[in-house]
Amino acid sequence: MYIVIAGAGRLGLILGKKLKEDNHQVCLIDKSETLCNKLASEIQDVLIIRGDATYPDILQQAKIEKADVCVSATSTDEDNIIICYLAKELFGVKRTVARVNDPKHIPLYKYMEVDNPVDSTSIIARVVEEEASFTDVMSLLSIKKGRLSIVRIDIPQTSPVANKALKDISLPHNSVLVSILRGPDIIIPYGSTVILPGDEVIAAALIDVEKELLKALIGKI
Amino acid sequence: MKYIIIIGCGKTGKNLALELSKENNVVVIDKSLRNLDSLGDDFNGKKIWADALDINTLEKAEAKGASAVYLLTGNDNINLVVGKVIKRKYGVKKVILQVDDAMKKKIFKEEGLTIVNRTYLIAEVLKKCI
Repeated sequence: MYIVIAGAGRLGLILGKKLKEDNHQVCLIDKSETLCNKLASEIQDVLIIRGDATYPDILQQAKIEKADVCVSATSTDEDNIIICYLAKELFGVKRTVARVNDPKHIPLYKYMEVDNPVDSTSIIARVVEEEASFTDVMSLLSIKKGRLSIVRIDIPQTSPVANKALKDISLPHNSVLVSILRGPDIIIPYGSTVILPGDEVIAAALIDVEKELLKALIGKI
Repeated sequence: MKYIIIIGCGKTGKNLALELSKENNVVVIDKSLRNLDSLGDDFNGKKIWADALDINTLEKAEAKGASAVYLLTGNDNINLVVGKVIKRKYGVKKVILQVDDAMKKKIFKEEGLTIVNRTYLIAEVLKKCI
Protein backbone atom coordinates (compact mmCIF):
# COMPACT_ATOMS: atom_id res chain seq x y z
CA MET A 1 0.00 0.00 0.00
CA TYR A 2 1.00 3.61 -0.41
CA ILE A 3 0.53 5.64 2.76
CA VAL A 4 0.99 9.37 3.15
CA ILE A 5 1.69 10.57 6.69
CA ALA A 6 1.37 14.26 7.50
CA GLY A 7 3.39 15.27 10.55
CA ALA A 8 6.70 13.52 11.19
CA GLY A 9 6.82 14.06 14.94
CA ARG A 10 7.29 11.10 17.29
CA LEU A 11 4.05 9.42 16.24
CA GLY A 12 4.36 10.07 12.51
CA LEU A 13 7.94 8.89 12.45
CA ILE A 14 7.43 5.67 14.42
CA LEU A 15 4.42 4.87 12.26
CA GLY A 16 6.34 5.61 9.08
CA LYS A 17 9.22 3.33 10.07
CA LYS A 18 6.85 0.52 11.06
CA LEU A 19 4.92 0.71 7.80
CA LYS A 20 8.18 0.75 5.87
CA GLU A 21 9.32 -2.41 7.71
CA ASP A 22 6.07 -4.05 6.63
CA ASN A 23 7.00 -3.23 3.04
CA HIS A 24 4.52 -0.44 2.48
CA GLN A 25 5.44 2.61 0.47
CA VAL A 26 5.56 5.62 2.75
CA CYS A 27 5.65 9.37 2.30
CA LEU A 28 6.27 11.71 5.26
CA ILE A 29 5.33 15.39 5.17
CA ASP A 30 6.53 17.87 7.77
CA LYS A 31 6.75 21.64 8.11
CA SER A 32 10.18 21.67 9.70
CA GLU A 33 13.12 21.92 7.34
CA THR A 34 15.61 20.82 10.01
CA LEU A 35 13.56 17.73 10.76
CA CYS A 36 13.15 16.87 7.08
CA ASN A 37 16.88 17.15 6.43
CA LYS A 38 17.59 14.94 9.42
CA LEU A 39 15.05 12.35 8.27
CA ALA A 40 16.40 12.39 4.73
CA SER A 41 19.84 11.41 5.97
CA GLU A 42 18.52 8.84 8.45
CA ILE A 43 15.91 6.81 6.62
CA GLN A 44 16.00 5.36 3.16
CA ASP A 45 13.28 4.64 0.65
CA VAL A 46 10.80 6.99 2.25
CA LEU A 47 9.64 10.02 0.32
CA ILE A 48 10.10 13.10 2.49
CA ILE A 49 8.38 16.38 1.70
CA ARG A 50 8.91 19.61 3.54
CA GLY A 51 5.83 21.79 3.71
CA ASP A 52 2.48 22.53 5.27
CA ALA A 53 0.23 19.62 4.40
CA THR A 54 -2.89 21.74 4.81
CA TYR A 55 -1.99 23.20 1.41
CA PRO A 56 -3.19 21.14 -1.57
CA ASP A 57 0.00 21.73 -3.59
CA ILE A 58 2.05 20.04 -0.86
CA LEU A 59 -0.32 17.07 -0.82
CA GLN A 60 -0.02 16.93 -4.57
CA GLN A 61 3.77 16.76 -4.30
CA ALA A 62 3.24 13.75 -2.05
CA LYS A 63 1.21 12.15 -4.86
CA ILE A 64 -1.64 11.80 -2.44
CA GLU A 65 -4.07 10.90 -5.21
CA LYS A 66 -2.27 7.57 -5.39
CA ALA A 67 -2.42 6.95 -1.64
CA ASP A 68 -4.49 4.13 -0.18
CA VAL A 69 -4.49 5.78 3.21
CA CYS A 70 -3.81 9.29 4.46
CA VAL A 71 -2.70 9.55 8.08
CA SER A 72 -2.67 12.97 9.67
CA ALA A 73 -0.55 12.94 12.81
CA THR A 74 0.22 16.60 13.45
CA SER A 75 -0.17 18.10 16.92
CA THR A 76 -2.88 20.51 15.74
CA ASP A 77 -6.45 19.27 15.41
CA GLU A 78 -7.66 21.85 12.90
CA ASP A 79 -4.74 20.97 10.63
CA ASN A 80 -5.45 17.24 10.90
CA ILE A 81 -9.08 17.81 9.98
CA ILE A 82 -8.21 20.00 6.98
CA ILE A 83 -5.58 17.54 5.74
CA CYS A 84 -7.98 14.59 5.88
CA TYR A 85 -10.73 16.67 4.30
CA LEU A 86 -8.53 17.69 1.38
CA ALA A 87 -7.21 14.16 0.94
CA LYS A 88 -10.73 12.84 0.68
CA GLU A 89 -12.69 15.57 -1.08
CA LEU A 90 -10.05 16.88 -3.42
CA PHE A 91 -7.86 13.86 -4.08
CA GLY A 92 -10.30 11.01 -3.55
CA VAL A 93 -8.29 9.13 -0.92
CA LYS A 94 -10.50 6.29 0.33
CA ARG A 95 -9.38 6.09 3.93
CA THR A 96 -8.33 8.87 6.28
CA VAL A 97 -6.96 8.38 9.77
CA ALA A 98 -6.08 11.16 12.19
CA ARG A 99 -4.55 11.61 15.57
CA VAL A 100 -6.90 13.48 17.90
CA ASN A 101 -4.92 15.75 20.22
CA ASP A 102 -7.77 17.05 22.36
CA PRO A 103 -10.67 14.60 22.88
CA LYS A 104 -13.05 17.58 23.05
CA HIS A 105 -12.46 18.08 19.34
CA ILE A 106 -13.69 14.59 18.31
CA PRO A 107 -17.17 15.76 17.21
CA LEU A 108 -15.57 18.11 14.69
CA TYR A 109 -13.51 15.26 13.25
CA LYS A 110 -16.76 13.36 12.82
CA TYR A 111 -18.65 16.24 11.21
CA MET A 112 -15.78 16.73 8.78
CA GLU A 113 -15.93 13.03 7.91
CA VAL A 114 -12.52 11.88 9.01
CA ASP A 115 -12.87 8.07 8.72
CA ASN A 116 -10.92 7.14 11.77
CA PRO A 117 -10.10 9.72 14.43
CA VAL A 118 -7.78 8.02 16.93
CA ASP A 119 -8.09 9.51 20.37
CA SER A 120 -4.69 8.70 21.87
CA THR A 121 -5.35 10.57 25.10
CA SER A 122 -8.35 8.44 26.01
CA ILE A 123 -6.63 5.23 24.95
CA ILE A 124 -3.64 6.00 27.16
CA ALA A 125 -5.87 7.06 30.03
CA ARG A 126 -7.65 3.71 29.84
CA VAL A 127 -4.38 1.79 29.83
CA VAL A 128 -3.00 3.79 32.74
CA GLU A 129 -6.21 3.31 34.68
CA GLU A 130 -5.97 -0.42 34.13
CA GLU A 131 -2.37 -0.56 35.22
CA ALA A 132 -3.13 1.49 38.29
CA SER A 133 -6.13 -0.44 39.50
CA PHE A 134 -5.20 -4.09 39.08
CA THR A 135 -1.78 -5.08 40.27
CA ASP A 136 -2.13 -8.78 39.53
CA VAL A 137 -3.43 -8.13 36.03
CA MET A 138 -1.41 -6.88 33.14
CA SER A 139 -2.79 -5.78 29.82
CA LEU A 140 -0.59 -7.32 27.14
CA LEU A 141 -2.24 -6.14 23.99
CA SER A 142 -5.25 -4.20 22.98
CA ILE A 143 -6.86 -4.55 19.59
CA LYS A 144 -9.42 -2.44 17.75
CA LYS A 145 -8.87 0.66 19.84
CA GLY A 146 -8.96 -1.29 23.07
CA ARG A 147 -12.21 -3.14 22.43
CA LEU A 148 -10.48 -6.50 22.61
CA SER A 149 -7.76 -6.98 25.15
CA ILE A 150 -5.33 -9.74 25.88
CA VAL A 151 -4.47 -9.81 29.57
CA ARG A 152 -2.17 -11.70 31.89
CA ILE A 153 -3.66 -12.59 35.24
CA ASP A 154 -1.83 -14.04 38.25
CA ILE A 155 -4.00 -16.65 39.95
CA PRO A 156 -3.93 -16.07 43.73
CA GLN A 157 -4.38 -18.70 46.49
CA THR A 158 -7.85 -17.31 47.15
CA SER A 159 -8.98 -17.54 43.55
CA PRO A 160 -12.41 -19.15 43.08
CA VAL A 161 -11.00 -21.17 40.16
CA ALA A 162 -7.86 -22.45 41.89
CA ASN A 163 -7.53 -26.25 41.73
CA LYS A 164 -10.52 -26.52 39.42
CA ALA A 165 -10.63 -28.02 35.95
CA LEU A 166 -11.45 -25.64 33.15
CA LYS A 167 -14.64 -27.50 32.30
CA ASP A 168 -16.01 -26.82 35.79
CA ILE A 169 -15.40 -23.11 35.59
CA SER A 170 -17.85 -20.67 34.12
CA LEU A 171 -16.32 -17.70 32.38
CA PRO A 172 -18.26 -14.76 30.98
CA HIS A 173 -19.34 -14.81 27.35
CA ASN A 174 -16.91 -13.19 24.92
CA SER A 175 -13.89 -14.24 26.94
CA VAL A 176 -11.53 -17.16 26.54
CA LEU A 177 -8.45 -18.58 28.27
CA VAL A 178 -5.63 -18.68 25.75
CA SER A 179 -2.88 -20.29 27.75
CA ILE A 180 -1.49 -21.01 31.19
CA LEU A 181 2.08 -20.19 32.14
CA ARG A 182 3.27 -22.49 34.92
CA GLY A 183 6.92 -22.04 35.83
CA PRO A 184 8.83 -22.84 32.65
CA ASP A 185 5.86 -24.56 30.98
CA ILE A 186 3.39 -23.09 28.57
CA ILE A 187 0.11 -24.97 28.63
CA ILE A 188 -2.60 -24.64 26.01
CA PRO A 189 -5.60 -25.50 28.15
CA TYR A 190 -8.28 -28.12 27.48
CA GLY A 191 -11.43 -28.80 29.46
CA SER A 192 -9.56 -31.13 31.77
CA THR A 193 -6.70 -28.73 32.52
CA VAL A 194 -6.61 -27.76 36.19
CA ILE A 195 -5.75 -24.19 37.16
CA LEU A 196 -3.34 -23.95 40.10
CA PRO A 197 -2.61 -21.03 42.39
CA GLY A 198 0.49 -19.23 41.14
CA ASP A 199 -0.39 -19.90 37.51
CA GLU A 200 -0.26 -17.00 35.12
CA VAL A 201 -3.26 -17.10 32.84
CA ILE A 202 -3.36 -15.40 29.46
CA ALA A 203 -6.91 -14.53 28.47
CA ALA A 204 -8.63 -12.64 25.70
CA ALA A 205 -11.79 -10.67 26.43
CA LEU A 206 -13.95 -7.95 24.99
CA ILE A 207 -13.56 -4.78 27.01
CA ASP A 208 -17.08 -4.86 28.48
CA VAL A 209 -16.62 -8.30 30.03
CA GLU A 210 -13.07 -7.74 31.25
CA LYS A 211 -14.12 -6.90 34.80
CA GLU A 212 -16.43 -9.93 34.92
CA LEU A 213 -13.58 -12.15 33.74
CA LEU A 214 -11.29 -10.80 36.44
CA LYS A 215 -13.95 -11.41 39.05
CA ALA A 216 -14.30 -15.01 37.87
CA LEU A 217 -10.56 -15.65 37.95
CA ILE A 218 -9.40 -13.60 40.93
CA GLY A 219 -12.59 -13.35 42.98
CA LYS A 220 -12.34 -9.62 43.58
CA ILE A 221 -11.80 -6.48 41.56
CA MET B 1 -32.28 42.82 16.08
CA LYS B 2 -30.19 40.01 14.71
CA TYR B 3 -28.35 37.38 16.69
CA ILE B 4 -24.72 37.39 15.52
CA ILE B 5 -21.80 35.25 16.68
CA ILE B 6 -18.24 36.42 16.18
CA ILE B 7 -15.49 33.84 16.71
CA GLY B 8 -12.05 35.34 17.18
CA CYS B 9 -11.59 38.68 18.88
CA GLY B 10 -8.42 40.06 17.34
CA LYS B 11 -8.36 43.50 15.74
CA THR B 12 -10.95 42.68 13.08
CA GLY B 13 -13.23 40.70 15.39
CA LYS B 14 -13.10 43.38 18.05
CA ASN B 15 -13.95 46.25 15.70
CA LEU B 16 -16.75 44.30 14.09
CA ALA B 17 -18.16 43.28 17.48
CA LEU B 18 -18.19 46.85 18.78
CA GLU B 19 -19.79 48.09 15.58
CA LEU B 20 -22.45 45.36 15.24
CA SER B 21 -23.37 45.31 18.93
CA LYS B 22 -24.82 48.80 18.64
CA GLU B 23 -27.80 47.42 16.78
CA ASN B 24 -27.66 43.67 17.21
CA ASN B 25 -27.43 40.94 19.76
CA VAL B 26 -23.75 39.94 19.58
CA VAL B 27 -21.81 37.06 21.15
CA VAL B 28 -18.03 37.02 20.92
CA ILE B 29 -16.01 33.81 21.40
CA ASP B 30 -12.26 33.76 21.97
CA LYS B 31 -9.87 31.51 23.86
CA SER B 32 -7.84 34.44 25.08
CA LEU B 33 -9.20 36.41 28.03
CA ARG B 34 -7.06 39.37 27.09
CA ASN B 35 -8.68 39.57 23.67
CA LEU B 36 -12.14 39.49 25.22
CA ASP B 37 -11.17 42.16 27.76
CA SER B 38 -9.99 44.37 24.91
CA LEU B 39 -13.66 44.90 24.00
CA GLY B 40 -13.83 47.33 26.92
CA ASP B 41 -16.75 48.39 29.08
CA ASP B 42 -18.79 49.86 26.24
CA PHE B 43 -19.42 46.49 24.64
CA ASN B 44 -22.94 45.40 25.51
CA GLY B 45 -22.87 41.90 24.02
CA LYS B 46 -22.01 38.55 25.56
CA LYS B 47 -18.49 37.17 25.83
CA ILE B 48 -17.61 33.48 25.86
CA TRP B 49 -14.12 32.50 26.89
CA ALA B 50 -13.67 29.10 25.22
CA ASP B 51 -12.24 26.95 22.45
CA ALA B 52 -14.31 27.17 19.25
CA LEU B 53 -13.19 23.70 18.15
CA ASP B 54 -15.10 22.26 21.11
CA ILE B 55 -18.67 21.54 20.02
CA ASN B 56 -19.91 22.42 23.53
CA THR B 57 -18.76 25.99 22.97
CA LEU B 58 -20.86 26.25 19.83
CA GLU B 59 -23.83 24.75 21.71
CA LYS B 60 -23.34 27.20 24.56
CA ALA B 61 -23.29 30.09 22.09
CA GLU B 62 -26.57 28.74 20.65
CA ALA B 63 -25.14 28.66 17.15
CA LYS B 64 -28.37 27.11 15.89
CA GLY B 65 -30.29 30.31 16.42
CA ALA B 66 -27.75 32.67 14.88
CA SER B 67 -28.59 34.72 11.79
CA ALA B 68 -24.91 35.10 11.02
CA VAL B 69 -21.58 33.73 12.24
CA TYR B 70 -18.25 35.39 11.57
CA LEU B 71 -15.01 33.42 11.79
CA LEU B 72 -12.07 35.72 12.37
CA THR B 73 -9.57 33.73 14.43
CA GLY B 74 -6.61 34.57 12.24
CA ASN B 75 -6.08 30.87 11.56
CA ASP B 76 -7.37 29.77 8.15
CA ASN B 77 -7.77 26.15 9.16
CA ILE B 78 -9.74 26.86 12.34
CA ASN B 79 -11.98 29.26 10.43
CA LEU B 80 -12.61 26.67 7.72
CA VAL B 81 -13.28 23.72 10.03
CA VAL B 82 -15.56 25.60 12.41
CA GLY B 83 -17.26 27.45 9.56
CA LYS B 84 -18.07 24.22 7.72
CA VAL B 85 -19.35 22.54 10.87
CA ILE B 86 -21.58 25.50 11.75
CA LYS B 87 -23.01 25.40 8.25
CA ARG B 88 -23.50 21.62 8.23
CA LYS B 89 -24.69 21.02 11.77
CA TYR B 90 -26.63 24.18 12.56
CA GLY B 91 -27.62 25.32 9.08
CA VAL B 92 -26.80 28.96 9.82
CA LYS B 93 -27.78 31.00 6.75
CA LYS B 94 -24.81 33.35 6.66
CA VAL B 95 -21.39 32.10 7.61
CA ILE B 96 -18.60 34.53 6.87
CA LEU B 97 -14.99 33.49 7.21
CA GLN B 98 -11.67 35.10 6.78
CA VAL B 99 -9.29 32.89 4.83
CA ASP B 100 -6.03 34.39 3.67
CA ASP B 101 -4.90 31.65 1.34
CA ALA B 102 -6.38 32.12 -2.12
CA MET B 103 -6.22 28.44 -3.04
CA LYS B 104 -8.05 27.31 0.09
CA LYS B 105 -10.63 30.01 -0.57
CA LYS B 106 -11.33 28.42 -3.94
CA ILE B 107 -11.49 24.84 -2.68
CA PHE B 108 -13.77 25.49 0.25
CA LYS B 109 -16.18 27.69 -1.65
CA GLU B 110 -19.76 26.52 -1.14
CA GLU B 111 -23.19 28.02 -1.04
CA GLY B 112 -23.82 30.03 2.09
CA LEU B 113 -20.15 30.37 2.98
CA THR B 114 -18.76 33.81 2.29
CA ILE B 115 -15.01 33.61 2.24
CA VAL B 116 -13.15 36.89 2.62
CA ASN B 117 -9.50 37.27 1.70
CA ARG B 118 -7.91 40.25 3.40
CA THR B 119 -4.98 40.71 1.04
CA TYR B 120 -7.28 40.65 -1.95
CA LEU B 121 -9.57 43.23 -0.38
CA ILE B 122 -6.73 45.61 0.44
CA ALA B 123 -5.35 45.26 -3.07
CA GLU B 124 -8.78 46.14 -4.47
CA VAL B 125 -8.99 49.24 -2.29
CA LEU B 126 -5.45 50.28 -3.18
CA LYS B 127 -6.24 49.88 -6.86
CA LYS B 128 -9.10 52.32 -6.54
CA CYS B 129 -6.86 54.96 -4.96
CA ILE B 130 -5.33 56.01 -8.26
